[in-house]
Formats: sequence, structure tokens, C-alpha cells
Amino acid sequence: MKRLDWLFMSSLLALIGIGITLVYSATSNTDLIWYKTEWFKQIMHFAAGSLIAVVIVLLPSKFWKNIAWVSYIVAIVVLFVVINSGHVSKGAGRWLDIAGFRFQPSEFAKIAYLLVSSLWLSKHRVSIVQPKTLIVPFLLFIVPFLLVLKQPNLSTALVFTAMTLVHFYWAGFRLVDLFLLISPVMSIILSSVSTLYWNLLIISVFFISIKFKYPLWLIVLIMTLVIGSGYISQIAWNSMEDHQRSRILTFVDPTRDPKGEGYQVIQSQVAIGSGGMFGKGFGEGSQTNLAFLPEEHTDFIFSVLGEQFGFVGTLVVLILFFILLWRSIMICRLHTDSFVNLVVAGACAILFFHTSVNVAMTIGFMPVTGLPLPFLSYGGSFVLTCMILIGLLLNMRLKGKDI
Amino acid sequence: MRSNSQQPEEIRQEMNLKTIVFVCGVAILFLILILRLLQLQYFEYENNLKRAEENRIRKIDVKANRGYILDRNGVVLVRNRPSYQISLLHSQFKTREIRDSVFDRLLRITDNEGKRLLDSASLAFSFERGRWQRFRFQRLIEDASPEIVALFEERGEELPGIEILVESRRDYPFGSQGAHIFGYTGEISEKELEQPENSRYVMGDRIGKKGLEFSYEKEFRGENGLRYIEVNALGREMGPVAGMPFIKPISGNSIVTTLDWRIQQVAELAMPEDAKGALVALNPQNGEIYAMVSRPPLDPNIFSLEKKELHKAWASVALDTAKPLTNRAISGLYPPGSVFKVITAAAGLESNVLMERTKYKAPCTGGFRFGNRYAKCWFAGGHRTLSVIDALKVSCNVFFYQAGLDIGNRRIGDMAKKFGLGATLGVDIPGERFGSVIDSASYEKWFARRGWKWTQGEILNVSVGQGALTVTPLQQTAMIGALATGNGLYRPHFLKEVKGPEGELIKRTEPVKISDGNISEYTKKILLKGLDEAVNAPGGTARRSIVPGVRVGGKTGSAENPHGDKTHAWFAAVAPLDAPEIAVGVVLENAGGGGAMAAPIAQKVLYAYFYPDSLKRKPK
Repeated sequence: MKRLDWLFMSSLLALIGIGITLVYSATSNTDLIWYKTEWFKQIMHFAAGSLIAVVIVLLPSKFWKNIAWVSYIVAIVVLFVVINSGHVSKGAGRWLDIAGFRFQPSEFAKIAYLLVSSLWLSKHRVSIVQPKTLIVPFLLFIVPFLLVLKQPNLSTALVFTAMTLVHFYWAGFRLVDLFLLISPVMSIILSSVSTLYWNLLIISVFFISIKFKYPLWLIVLIMTLVIGSGYISQIAWNSMEDHQRSRILTFVDPTRDPKGEGYQVIQSQVAIGSGGMFGKGFGEGSQTNLAFLPEEHTDFIFSVLGEQFGFVGTLVVLILFFILLWRSIMICRLHTDSFVNLVVAGACAILFFHTSVNVAMTIGFMPVTGLPLPFLSYGGSFVLTCMILIGLLLNMRLKGKDI
Repeated sequence: MRSNSQQPEEIRQEMNLKTIVFVCGVAILFLILILRLLQLQYFEYENNLKRAEENRIRKIDVKANRGYILDRNGVVLVRNRPSYQISLLHSQFKTREIRDSVFDRLLRITDNEGKRLLDSASLAFSFERGRWQRFRFQRLIEDASPEIVALFEERGEELPGIEILVESRRDYPFGSQGAHIFGYTGEISEKELEQPENSRYVMGDRIGKKGLEFSYEKEFRGENGLRYIEVNALGREMGPVAGMPFIKPISGNSIVTTLDWRIQQVAELAMPEDAKGALVALNPQNGEIYAMVSRPPLDPNIFSLEKKELHKAWASVALDTAKPLTNRAISGLYPPGSVFKVITAAAGLESNVLMERTKYKAPCTGGFRFGNRYAKCWFAGGHRTLSVIDALKVSCNVFFYQAGLDIGNRRIGDMAKKFGLGATLGVDIPGERFGSVIDSASYEKWFARRGWKWTQGEILNVSVGQGALTVTPLQQTAMIGALATGNGLYRPHFLKEVKGPEGELIKRTEPVKISDGNISEYTKKILLKGLDEAVNAPGGTARRSIVPGVRVGGKTGSAENPHGDKTHAWFAAVAPLDAPEIAVGVVLENAGGGGAMAAPIAQKVLYAYFYPDSLKRKPK
């Protein structure tokens, strides 16, 4: 049981190999000398990432508890700095230059928040009927969330949200509690989509809270929040300036953007669809080669996969991701140490959220958000984050307290 | 209600449940994604494949027009011209046979003289590269001439896959005139591309590399547009795609410079082609530069040439020992020579060491003995005993040796710094140097390696503009102008206005005073009298810069230097003396005396400024 999980390791290696192959295919179309190409840099990213992962595996598990608070505070400070002086890339102040390296502090903040939230929740369980148990976890969440949102980087901010929900579930919430927790947010979204859905939501929140015998004050509070947030969002919407409204609409429906994000999504779907069952073959494919997809080696790497390797290729990759997530989450069954279990669950939540949102985006299910696909997308900071998460998972598997 | 301390068994049950829920969540979501993929890749496969194959929509960057450079009266100095690139798009070859026949046909194309346009080695290289980059244009001929373009247009039908792309390049209607001011553009380098502020550029874009093109790159570049066009099976453009947005490019802003092109042209003609040196003409009341010439000249059109020839041309200018790439007006460092005597005089008068009637014991006998050193005056016959005004007029060294000893190095240095020497003036083109005005302490630090010590005798050199002093022609000109106005020193600049693509005013430069430069009326009166007499009084050194009807003041210089037998010829003038409008500085390296060589050139510029009609009557 203490040995390496070979199913986990082989699916991980397969994903990394497929990723480098795809980055090569998507970017070999350049004049650059080989050691300056993206595929070579990507190999270097993974080499560095693996090294870090190995170091992480060797560290004692107590180490993570010790550095949790420090790294969290450092991450918050760095996020502050990057908002004020960060290098602006494509309109978003997300990067920071340190000694010639460009990195995204929000990536570091993900890990730091994962550790600190795990540490806190491992000692303090949360319950929706005891709001005071939620105060600290909420504060821990909201500070990095708002800072990342301010960058502005909504999609990464949502990664923090996804992780928080899973952590709350692990630390005492039931599924129905989670539903009530997010119902005010759902109310804001649904109230601007259609009145019917909004009304259905209000009714179901009401009946569910009755059915599960929540205390009266909580039912009143939740109902007020749900109805109130819906109304307030309507009022806010109506009082907004046109350009603010159009910015929000563009996020929800990218085809509105004249720079052509809708065009990207359409081209991505055509690329994937034209791959058919078995794909056009490695290096082939007019869609990706014609550079219809400007971010084809980062955010749209999945489209390259779909075009060149077809349904078989996409299915294999999704199955590999499934195995990876399944083997990872099962680490929780090996230990009674709730810190270990929370770290594992949070890391799985990050990887799962990234994977599903990225794939959903390339097949036209979601707006173009700019979340990369773990192990497949090109990018130094993100590769490092993923490898750190892998290192943490392995570390937790090997060093956690046995049942 | 759960307790905070759980039993292991309880935890195990909880984890069993929650991991199952998580795995189920993953499974359900992935199943939805897989169903959607099945829809796209299986049920809609035919349709999507058809769309992909017929995807004749191309997304094309529409490059913005680069802004122009104009003179103060609207004369276009730098504009754009179309440049044709004969390019290859490999994906257009349907079969190997077509590819090979195009290759053969291309090889056989000859110009009017029967010379082959493309050699087989470079053509084979382009084709080979095209095989790997089937969907990218490979450039076969860069910046093709109209004759070559016509040749390819005639053969368009028999050459599928060969396309003529149009780019915009810089065009300099006045050739080498003003080349050092405008600078040039070139293809953006990899290093520049990596810089964060250049994130909007792509490989192959052109960017300002020097001069105004560099300084005002942000104004010139505009905003690229985007359009979607439909192409036919041969890859030829059919037209825009309905329903797809067309974002118009926004042309770059144009720059109205402070240059007066009539004066620039007079100056360009007056400065000998084969000389080394520089000329600056500016308005001392606000720092506007009217003209700036650097010799040897530089033809900026070479930087728009095709790569192969560019390398040759570049090598020839870069390796030229006369350094034609250097803008000597701002980057050339020269000893200021006797022109500096106005600073010595000003320092003396302001500190009351010198008075209008001050005369020195030792008359000029053609030289001056100081310790065991004998320092010569330029006039071996000797100037006898002089006042400060006369000493400026005849540029007597012996007077200023003695004055310098009285005044002291510190006061002279402070006065020089007050008028902009020893520091950059902040002109709005890159490459400005600051020269040196050295006090005794930094002199010893500076020359420590050579073991030189500051001695009182060094003041003899400084007071007549020699020794460790160096200035740029721009500094010299700005200095004489600021001395004459007494209103302070203004930052010399080229940017007068920024105008939008429609000619609307976007920005106007306000004069910036960089140093107060106030001197007393008494000092100013005496200095101007000296400058006046040097030009207009019999026996003055600058008689050859007289402009009839205008009170021109000036100071010559013949600076000794280690680069040749002959002195650098300096002349700095300002006119009219009672209300200065223009200051002119000229330096010619190793050309001889300033009065004989440099003053006549300044005279032509001043004459053109005050008598603009003379230019119309006899156009040169």
C-alpha cells in the first residue's frame, strides 16, 4: 500500500507525453531554432516540474503544515504587488517578473490557499447551521479570490471557488448544504436568464430547506438572500452603463466580441468535429495548421488533439484524466489524517475544474475563459503548478498516517 | 451535529462516501463531455469535415498605416510606399507534379537583361521550408521592383501557389537629407519581441530603430485591424465574408516637427558632402530645432532594402571609419574651443572678477608664461592689452588665460553647467551624449590611471575651451542661444505637434525650461557687445558671417584635438542680438579655423532664415 500507484503514474506519464506531442504538432510551424521552440521549452518545463515534484515527495508531511500560513501570507502580498505593478499581458495584470522569470502569482496562490485551507479545516469542521464556523474559512477564501478577480482573472478566481466547495464538503458539509450555499449565486445568474428558472430555483430552495429540517432562521436567511440577490442583480443590471453591460454579455456570450472569440469557438468545434473517429493523423489537419486557432498550443490544445487523433484520441485522454483523478481521490481512503485528505481533495478539485472547464470551452459548452488543460497545455507557470500538485498527491499518499 | 473529534471508523465511512461522490461527479461530467464529442466527431462528422475542407475563410491582419513626419510648414519628410513581396504558399500545390512544374517555371523567369531572378539553391530552400510550413507564406523576392511584379502578374495563371503580397515600407523623398534625425525602421528583432511593451507586434512587423522613428514609435504605429476574407480553391482572395466583423486599422499619428525644411535644405547644401561634422539651428526662445545636419551623410533608404542588399549596405556604413551612422550633432563630442570663452567671460563678469574695463598686466605678445609653461595665443603677432569685449572680438587667448586664473575653475564650471554643458539636454531622439565639464576633484579621478594631477595650469586650458572639456554641437548651439536671450535654457526638441490620421491636433509640445540661466543685464550687455563686434566690427574673427540688415553675434573656435594637424572649425552664432530668434552652431572636424571654415556655412543658414524670399528666386 505504501508503494507507488502504477496506474496513477502511467496515466500521468501518458498525459505528459501526449501533451508534448501535441504542443510539437501545434507549434512546429515556426522559423525558430529547435531549442527556442515551444515544444522544447515545454519539455524543459516538465523536466523542472518533475524535479520539484520529486523534492516535494521526499519532504516530511509535517512540512506542509508548517509552511501553510507563511506561504499563504506571501501569496497574498505578491498578489497585491502584481495588481499594482504587474506586467500587463493581453490586458490582464497577471504576471510578475522576478530575476528574469515570468510567473503568475495566482498559480502560487492556488497552492498556498490549498495548504492553509486544509490546515484550518483539518482542525475545525464546518457546518452550515453554525455560521461562526464559516467565518475563518470564508475570509481565507475571499481575500485571494478578490485579488485574483481584480487582476482581472475570473476563471482562476473560480478555481478557488471550486476548491472551496470541495473542501467544505470534505470538512462537514452535505451536498444539500452546498446547494443552499451557492443558491444565492445561482439566483443572480438565473434571474438574468429567465424568470421561470429563477422562480423554480426559489421554490426548490424553499422545499429542500423544509424537507431537510433546517432551523427556521436559516431558511429565512437563505430565502432572503436568494430572492434579494436576484432582485438586486436586476436593479444593478438596469442601472449599469451600456459598456459595463456589454462587457458582462461578452463574457457570457463571446460571439458578441468583434475580436472574434466566437469565431475561435466555432473553429475549435469544426477542428474537433472534422477529426472524426480516428483523426486526420499526427501533424495533419488544416484547421490547426491554418492557424485558425491563435491559442492552439495553450488554451485550445484539446482541439488539436481532436482534429489529429479523432474521437479515439479525445476519449483516451478523458479516460486518462478519469484514472488520474480516481486514483488520486482514493488516497483519501488510505488515511485518517484529515489534513492529508483535505490536501488531496483540494488538489483533485483544481485538476478536475481545469480539465472539465477547458474541454467544455473547446466544444462550445462554455465561454472562452482561458483556463489551460493540465499536462497538455503549453505554459511554464501552469506546468509547475500541476507538477507541484502531483508531488503533493504522491507525498500525501506515501507519508500520510495509516488507518 | 458532528463532533470535532471523530473516530477513525467514522472517518473511514465518511471518506468512502465522499470519494465515491467525487468520482461519480467526475464520471458524470466526463460522460457529458464525451457525448458532446461523439456528437461533434461522429454524428456531425461529415458536416464538420466539409466545413473544415471548405474553410476558405482566412483571418488576416490589416496592418495600420504608419504616420508621416512633416516639417513645421507641412512639407512631407517621411511617408510610406507600397512594397511587393513575391511569396510562395505551399498548401496551394495540389500534386507533386504541379509543385515541380512551378519550380521549373520559376527558375526560368528572367528579367529584361536575361538574368535569372531566382537561383536554384535559394528557391529549393524556400520550397523545402514551404513543405514544413505549408500554410505560411515563404518570401521568394523581397521588395520587388514594378518590373518584376509585372513579370509575375503576367504569369499568374501558370504559377499557382505564387502570390504577390503588398506591404508598406518607409519612403524618404529627400534621400539622405535629415536622415540622422528621422532614423529608420526595420523588422522587429526577437529580442524586441520579447519585451513586454511590444506585445502587440508579431514577427515580421517593422518597428522604429533610431531617431524620431524610434522615439515616437507609439505615435506612428497605429492599431492593426482584422478582417476575414474568403479565398477560392487557388487561394486567391474572393472578398469579405458576410457576417464576420471587419475591424478597420487605425492609421498611426503623424508628427509635425519643429524643422523648417527650407533651412534644413540650405544647411544640407552648405555643409560639404565629404566633411565630418555637424550643424544645428534652433530657436533659443523655446528650444525648437529648425535644422540639424550630420556629416558624413546617411541614406536611410538602404534600410528599406531587401535583406540581401541590406546586409551589404549595412556593412558598408557600419564599417566606415567616418561613422556615417552617428548623428554627430548629438553624439559627437568635441572640445568647445574658443567658443567657450563666452562662458569664461560670463563667469568672470557675474562674479565681478571681470569688469568692462578690466585689463591685465601682461599684454598679449603672442603667448603667456605661466610657471615653466609657455601657452601660446593663436595670433603670434600678439593682441597687446585688451578689454573683455575686444578679447572676445579677436578671441585673444592670453587675456582669457589670465582671466581664467583669476576666476577659478569652479566658477567657470558652474557657469558652463548652468548653460547645459556637461549634461544631456533631453532632446527627443536617442543617442545624445553629455560631454564633460570637470572640476578639479573629478579631473584627478578621471585621469588617475594616467597619473595626471589637477594643477592651476589646467585652468589655462579650460578658460579657452580646451583640456578636459567636451561638448556636443547641440549643447554648444543651445548654450550660445541661452546666453543671448538671458531667458534661460530650453530643452531642444523636434516634436511640435502630434496629429491624428485625419489631421486633427492630438498633442502640442510646450517649451520646457531646463535651467534658469539668468545673468545680469550688465553681463549680458558686455557679452553681446563682444559677440557683435566679433562679427560686425573691423578686425573681428567672424566677419564672414555678416548678414546685411541683421545684427548677428557669434563666436569662432579653432579647437585643437588629437585627431589631426588641423583644428576643428567651430562657429556658434545667434541673431538678431537684441531679440534672438535663431542660434546656429557649426563644427567641421579638422577643417582649420572657425572664422574661415565654419562661419560662412552659418552665414548661409542665417541668411536663408532672415531672407526666405531669396530661396524662391534662385532655387538651388
